[in-house]
Amino acid sequence: MNQLLVQTSWWVPVYGLIGAVLTLPWSVGLVRRTGPRPAAYFNVLMTLLALVHSAFVLGAVWNQPPQRQIIPWLHVVDLDLSLALEISAVSVGTAMLITALSLVAQVFALGYLEKDWGIARFYALMGFFEAAMSGIALSDSLFLSYALLEMLTLSTYLLVGFWYAQPLVVTAARDAFLTKRVGDLLLLMGVVGLSTLAGSLNFTDLEAWAQTAKLAPLTATLLGLALISGPTGKCAQFPLNLWLDEAMEGPNPASILRNSVVVASGAYVLIKLQPILALSPVALNALIVLGTLTAIGASFVSIAQVDVKRSLSHSTSAYLGLVFVSVGMQQSDVALLFLFAHGISKALMFMSVGSVILTTSTQDLRELGGLASRMPATTAAFVVGAAASIALLPLGSFWAMLEWAEGLWVASFWSVGVLLLVNGMTAFNLVRVYGLMFGGKPQAKTRRAPEVPWLMAVPMVAMAVFTLLAPLLLQQCNLLPTWETMNWTAVGLLVLSSTIGCGLGGLIYLNPKWEKPVDLVGKPIRDILAYDFRMERLYQISVVLGVVQSSRLTAWFDRYVVDGLVNFMGVASIFSGESLKYTISGQSRNYLLTLFVGVLVALTALSWSLLGSPLTAIAQAFSLRAI
Amino acid sequence: MLSPLIWAPFLGVVLIGLYPQPLQPSRARQLALAIATLTLFWSIYVATQFNIGQSGFQMQESLPWIERLGLTYQLGVDGLSMPLMLMNSLLTWIAIYSSDAQISRPRLYYILVLVLGGAVAGAFLAQNLLLFFLFYEVELIPLYLIIAIWGGSRRGYAATKFLIYTAFSGVVILAAFFGLSFLGGSSSFDYEVLRSQVLPLSSQLILLITLLVGFGIKIPIVPLHTWLPDAHVEAPTPASVLLAGVLLKLGTYGLLRFGLGLFPDAWQVLSPWLAWLAVVSVLYGSLAAIAQTDMKKTVAYSSVGHMGYILLASAAATPLSLLGAVAQMVSHGLISALLFLLVGVVYSKTGTRDINALQGLLNPERGMPLIGSLMVAGAMASAGIPGMVGFIAEFIVYRSSFPVFPIPTLLCMVGTGLTAVYFLILINRTFFGRLPETLANLPRVRWQDRLPSAIVTVLIIALGLQPSWMLRWSEATTTALAPIVARVAWEVSVK
Repeated sequence: MNQLLVQTSWWVPVYGLIGAVLTLPWSVGLVRRTGPRPAAYFNVLMTLLALVHSAFVLGAVWNQPPQRQIIPWLHVVDLDLSLALEISAVSVGTAMLITALSLVAQVFALGYLEKDWGIARFYALMGFFEAAMSGIALSDSLFLSYALLEMLTLSTYLLVGFWYAQPLVVTAARDAFLTKRVGDLLLLMGVVGLSTLAGSLNFTDLEAWAQTAKLAPLTATLLGLALISGPTGKCAQFPLNLWLDEAMEGPNPASILRNSVVVASGAYVLIKLQPILALSPVALNALIVLGTLTAIGASFVSIAQVDVKRSLSHSTSAYLGLVFVSVGMQQSDVALLFLFAHGISKALMFMSVGSVILTTSTQDLRELGGLASRMPATTAAFVVGAAASIALLPLGSFWAMLEWAEGLWVASFWSVGVLLLVNGMTAFNLVRVYGLMFGGKPQAKTRRAPEVPWLMAVPMVAMAVFTLLAPLLLQQCNLLPTWETMNWTAVGLLVLSSTIGCGLGGLIYLNPKWEKPVDLVGKPIRDILAYDFRMERLYQISVVLGVVQSSRLTAWFDRYVVDGLVNFMGVASIFSGESLKYTISGQSRNYLLTLFVGVLVALTALSWSLLGSPLTAIAQAFSLRAI
Repeated sequence: MLSPLIWAPFLGVVLIGLYPQPLQPSRARQLALAIATLTLFWSIYVATQFNIGQSGFQMQESLPWIERLGLTYQLGVDGLSMPLMLMNSLLTWIAIYSSDAQISRPRLYYILVLVLGGAVAGAFLAQNLLLFFLFYEVELIPLYLIIAIWGGSRRGYAATKFLIYTAFSGVVILAAFFGLSFLGGSSSFDYEVLRSQVLPLSSQLILLITLLVGFGIKIPIVPLHTWLPDAHVEAPTPASVLLAGVLLKLGTYGLLRFGLGLFPDAWQVLSPWLAWLAVVSVLYGSLAAIAQTDMKKTVAYSSVGHMGYILLASAAATPLSLLGAVAQMVSHGLISALLFLLVGVVYSKTGTRDINALQGLLNPERGMPLIGSLMVAGAMASAGIPGMVGFIAEFIVYRSSFPVFPIPTLLCMVGTGLTAVYFLILINRTFFGRLPETLANLPRVRWQDRLPSAIVTVLIIALGLQPSWMLRWSEATTTALAPIVARVAWEVSVK
């Protein structure tokens, strides 16, 4: 039985896809009589199946060496594109985490989107989303991972654009798609190049190839940079980071997944690619630089946001920046642990925020406040999530950060400084968000705020319990250091940074005497942080301007030069015909002469080519050898 | 075996032509549809009889015709023409099905569409160069008339432009064919005979460049493309479907069959130029598409761009890249047919194709949600999202052209990104947003409007998930067609 389940573990992603397909009759409006609910139930059921299946597989492969499954897909001429899967504790565990989070988010969405007419479409997209992500978790082929990342891009576009009647949503969807597409496109270039160089696209083969490969430095650098740009877009890293912030216009249950596992799937592929990236020091350094820039920049920006979802999404970027740094430092195990700890805590916070948004119909921190006494479960969930996402003993992120610090303690101490800074600022920001949302006096929109219905409360509380228990899970997996081996200096520094962050935050935002803490820094600084360092302007004057101007130029050229020339020839020939008709004599010998001359010219031209030799020389001169 | 594919439509022409007056539009449509269905089934039957492992022509037929000219009625099908022949039958059926039920002058209209389908099938199947030319010319006239009679407001201009351009292309091709037989000294126009003769490089070059101009107009390669957007914009939807779906493929088919097949040495010399021409086509078409405000023009310019990929793969001329070229022909045929069908539905319901005037068509109650969803699928397929046929075709094209022409390939890949830009603009403007009051009372979209696009979408997804269904037909032929010594700029290190 277990063997059969392991053999069929490729079904785990397929369940989500089946769910998505099953919802089609409802989502395109073919079935109206039942309302869209059945579609949602199908999807929840399918996700449950995927979860159970992956749990069984995880049980079977626990402490076993990784298995590889090859599914033949396409083999033409010399191109072999088979879809390889890796069935190991890590990959199946990741898939299980994804399906579990997806299940939680979907149940949550039953409550959150209760009155939305597009609920069937939403579930179709969630099924698609889940399928792509769990596929990435299991994939052992760069080709398959690339394809799934692209499908993730598409479903992000459609999920962000879920409420497509609103103008902001439309631009947000467009930006999410195009930003990720830039990354994907560069990644595709890398994939094509790598496929040419290495011959195979399976991660296992690539790893073996990377051991012995000798590439020219330029090739290796370009290849490495192309490969990291896909994850850069997916993980919302500088300079492809703005989409995540805008994507918060989408429905909240999708944001739960987007901020926890979707961004992580990009980093997951990056971790898989790490042996190849090791060929290029420039690529590794680029990872570290991008990660550091994003981690620090996004931490600052998140503090300046008044939209609670945007604030948290910037902090997601910051954490993923830390993951980038750790991959760049070749500390992949730490990166995985980090992704896990961050994923569950961020998911929990987004569920709590979603409850607040549904109850109060606003996500503006300036309009919130005083919810702690009115929504206790939601408040508790937020507190647990916040505590688990900063270095507070003994919750998940503390251990991840500790591992991080210990791994890099000797190698690069400055990066530990980055970690401490990000941790402290996140702590500050989370206390700020807590203070503005749950603390203080109630405002107009929060005065009558009941606790959310059970469909949302149950998954939220379950998630909170899971987050609290996560350290035990880690201990079971022997991922926690023992008391003897622990680096106590690192522990002290981490706890100190959290304490300073929380303390400062509490002093400013939980202090009833401080009325308007916004005025702490000057308006210019506040504005530049609130508008994400004016990154959008940067896009506007670089890529967008380039594409728009060149497309205008091309269209102009097409219309007035190419087409204009053609039309001119048409007019000219009509005109010359009109004028020539006055020269016609009507004598047939003149016509014959014209014909004769024409034939003569044509024949001369043809027979000249028979001579050949001058043309061969021209031909050789024309052949471009060195391209 | 193959003749019915050509003559069944012509039989239908006679049938509709002799049908006693008065011929109701619906009756004419039924007749044409019946004939197209028969042809479609027959081509599927031919496909089942096709031997995949064989690289040369199969099911050959030969009848002497005008022997003194070297013109014989000689047909054959191989891996290059098989998928295109199938697509022609399918899209002809779809074009007839999606024709306006109350079209004016139905007798003439359906006669022309059937002649078009039959002639294109003839061109794909002809094994004699003169026969190919005859069918190639025959196919122009019905399309010219369809655009000139049932077209939009500037139909006269567009139809004349189309006719002048493509007739010129035909003349140039004929000149090349005559030159070939004249220089080779043979009186036969049989493809196999001509293929076996070896010409000096200089003559090959002249003839190949001539062919390139001829087929380049048809493909179209920038800067010979300006007839295409005009023709598409003015043509009625079924004609656009056929034009983008199969007629443009005649150009790339001809280029591969006669250009690469007959002049392999000259091809090697010209191929770097071709690769750069492909880059120009891709980037030019994509950039021009971004600036358009007419939905049909966007799709038309996107065709210019996507045909560039076929040119790139053909230039690389490795076994894999030629397979990629065929795959891209099928993929572009299906995807552009789908997009034109959908734009046609939007136009017929709203009366406009201006993306500045349209908004919010995805509205589930009063808009056209299914058409919108299919549009998203078609646009994403065109932008190369995996799971649909566009992705795998483009991937094979890139993967196979990259070792030969690295820089042009990378530049062409930028075109994929630009595709996403213009289709996103199109979808965001027309389907997203709030449905304005002016569009609130649209006629209902009926099942007849949805069925053709649904069929094509199913094919696009099925071939995307299982590309070997599309590639298996051509692998043997394209492998045989590729020159033995392929140029490789990048050493492939497979260990």
